[in-house]
Amino acid sequence: MSQPAGTDERLLHRTTSLCRICKNGIPARIVALPDHSVWMRKECPRHGPQEVRLAGDAEWYERTRAVRPLPAPPPRVAREVTHGCPFDCGPCTSHTQKIRLPVVTITSTCNLECPICYVINKNQNPYDMGVEDFRRLLDHLVRDHGGELDLINITGGEPTLHPHFLDFLELCHEAGIHRVSICTNGIRLAQEEHLVRRLAELKGRVALSFDSFETEADYALQGAHLVDLKLRCLDLLEKYDVDTTLIPVMTRGVNDHEIGRILEMSFRRPNVRHAEVHIITFTGQGGTTFDRRTRMTMDEVLARISETTGGLLGPGDWVSSPCAHPLCYQIAYLLVDPDGGRPIPFTRFLARETLYECLDDHLYLEPSPRLQNALQDAINRLWSEGGDGAERTLTLLKGLLRRMFPSDRPITRAEALRVAERAAKAVYVHSHMDEETFDVERAAQCCDSNCYPDGTSIPVCNYNVLYREKEPRFNARPKEWNERSGGRMIFELPVVQKG
Amino acid sequence: MAGALEGKRCLVTGGSRGLGLEFCLAFARAGARVSFTWHKHEQDAREARTRIAAIGIEPLVFQGSVTDAAHARKTVDEVVSRWGGIDVLVNNAGITQVLPIALLEEEDWDLVMDVNVKGAYLCSRAALRHMIKARSGRILNVGAFSSERVIESPVHFAAAKSALRGFTEALAREVGRYGVTVNLIAPGMLDVGMTQMLPQHRIDEYISQCALGRLGKAEEIARQAVFLVSDACSFMTGAKVVADGGL
Repeated sequence: MSQPAGTDERLLHRTTSLCRICKNGIPARIVALPDHSVWMRKECPRHGPQEVRLAGDAEWYERTRAVRPLPAPPPRVAREVTHGCPFDCGPCTSHTQKIRLPVVTITSTCNLECPICYVINKNQNPYDMGVEDFRRLLDHLVRDHGGELDLINITGGEPTLHPHFLDFLELCHEAGIHRVSICTNGIRLAQEEHLVRRLAELKGRVALSFDSFETEADYALQGAHLVDLKLRCLDLLEKYDVDTTLIPVMTRGVNDHEIGRILEMSFRRPNVRHAEVHIITFTGQGGTTFDRRTRMTMDEVLARISETTGGLLGPGDWVSSPCAHPLCYQIAYLLVDPDGGRPIPFTRFLARETLYECLDDHLYLEPSPRLQNALQDAINRLWSEGGDGAERTLTLLKGLLRRMFPSDRPITRAEALRVAERAAKAVYVHSHMDEETFDVERAAQCCDSNCYPDGTSIPVCNYNVLYREKEPRFNARPKEWNERSGGRMIFELPVVQKG
Repeated sequence: MAGALEGKRCLVTGGSRGLGLEFCLAFARAGARVSFTWHKHEQDAREARTRIAAIGIEPLVFQGSVTDAAHARKTVDEVVSRWGGIDVLVNNAGITQVLPIALLEEEDWDLVMDVNVKGAYLCSRAALRHMIKARSGRILNVGAFSSERVIESPVHFAAAKSALRGFTEALAREVGRYGVTVNLIAPGMLDVGMTQMLPQHRIDEYISQCALGRLGKAEEIARQAVFLVSDACSFMTGAKVVADGGL
């Protein structure tokens, strides 16, 4: 995979990255090669030249990177820039995006040891966040974000092992945060049906890791045989109508051929609202040592989705998130046929620019006058101009309106919203960074942050690459700053330009 | 309002829930004998009957569609047969569909016009036969603010409610000489019925434009209705009463 540096390569941009060995900040060049692939090249004064492939298609990379997220700085910064991104997190004054997805790590305990796990856990003398700390954390989040905050992600370790995880759910609702998702491997939920029932009663949402239908791939990625258990978990979530997000991690040559099948399952199950495809990242207790030949780039994953769904989602069906760096999130929305027919990507009846505008200031598509007008325009255009699939799209949209606004009796707004949410499924492709692919331009625009009871927060990739390994809560032998990730070595904390 | 409708024999179409139920409850509290029709939701009808009976008035309850001429005729005849006449008819039964013109097929148009307009015509005609004979009666049609203001509304619903205005004015002219008044009340956005399904931004927009800065309550409309069908409202006919909080 290595590409020799040559004079025929084209510089796309410069950034600051990390040395993959010492994690020191170093300058990096992003270049396009004659075969159109995009590479990050950098050189650590101590550990020599390094490179990593970022995309297969330079034209896609440049076009995607050109989309600028809407400016939305954090309402409160915790730290001035001292060392430079990503070494001043809190957030620092150079961070440009507020938190759209607060991530709260409530436990260090996990009942799996996944070979691809991108965080570090600790089962001996484990950390469990206390109820008071959780309350303080919520107070900070609500104070900083007010009514804008309607989403929180509770994770671990395995958060369902925390003795109070259901209490935390209730506290979130009391704080006015209604979309509370539990990021889980599903083992406890599959084994203890009463927990799923209780989750449903509390209107909790589940983000379930689901990487493969195949025994071999399942074992390679999760270190256990979990396919039957995951399917049982999904059946229970469907039985109790729990809003669910499927999270498959895509790896080259292991499970990338299955992505279409996983997405089709998410379209078919009524309670599955999203699929969030994560791309393998090499951080944490498992990922650091996982076979790096499985690395995939965002454009490769999008291409695999197109191939394995028979073109259902093509290159033109994706938009960037207005809330994040475009190389971090790609989003597609689909209109689902309740009779089981092939879903229709929104971009077949809405312009991509319109879909991007409708995402507005949110990570997810929300009801808004803009969305209403866009759909109204789409309906009128399809009706007046026709075109391929116009009749079927109109039929599906009319069916949706009839279910949202039944004429024989009113349903509540929440019920109508739920009908709409289940008719419009989203696929998110989320590319995390590791020390090899790290790019401060992306880090500075991150909207997913790990949040702390003292009100500070750290963007998730920065946290996974640099900060978690230094927390005693998650490490029996936490590392110190200036300690090399692969062993002890003294080096100076780098001072680099602001992100 | 207690006693305002003492002894009045009232029929409310679509009276099992929402605004229709509020009419029934308000009329019963004002001393009226109350009957109502329902079409599809038996549980609602059962609960409505219980709530009205709790006020001390045992209602007459009829199942059927107001678009069915035989049902309309039989319902009115049964009220007259049981109570010796009919004093008040409230044409409340109605439906809407949230459909843009592009998706509005002929069958959708017909359904909304049938329930909202033809239903009022059929029930009024059945009741008027007895009211004219009695030289007395009150007919109250339930319109909507969407027929009065340029506001986002399904066109067939707005057309149907506008048709009710014409129906009200023409019928008032025609039957006034028999002591029968025909009026229309056009409520604004209320905290019941279709409003519950609307996106929050639509409700916020309404509230921001409305002088009173809030949604209406069904009981507020029902209290006005008590006056409009009472003997106290003796010199008003063919009128349109808009109760929209000052849009």
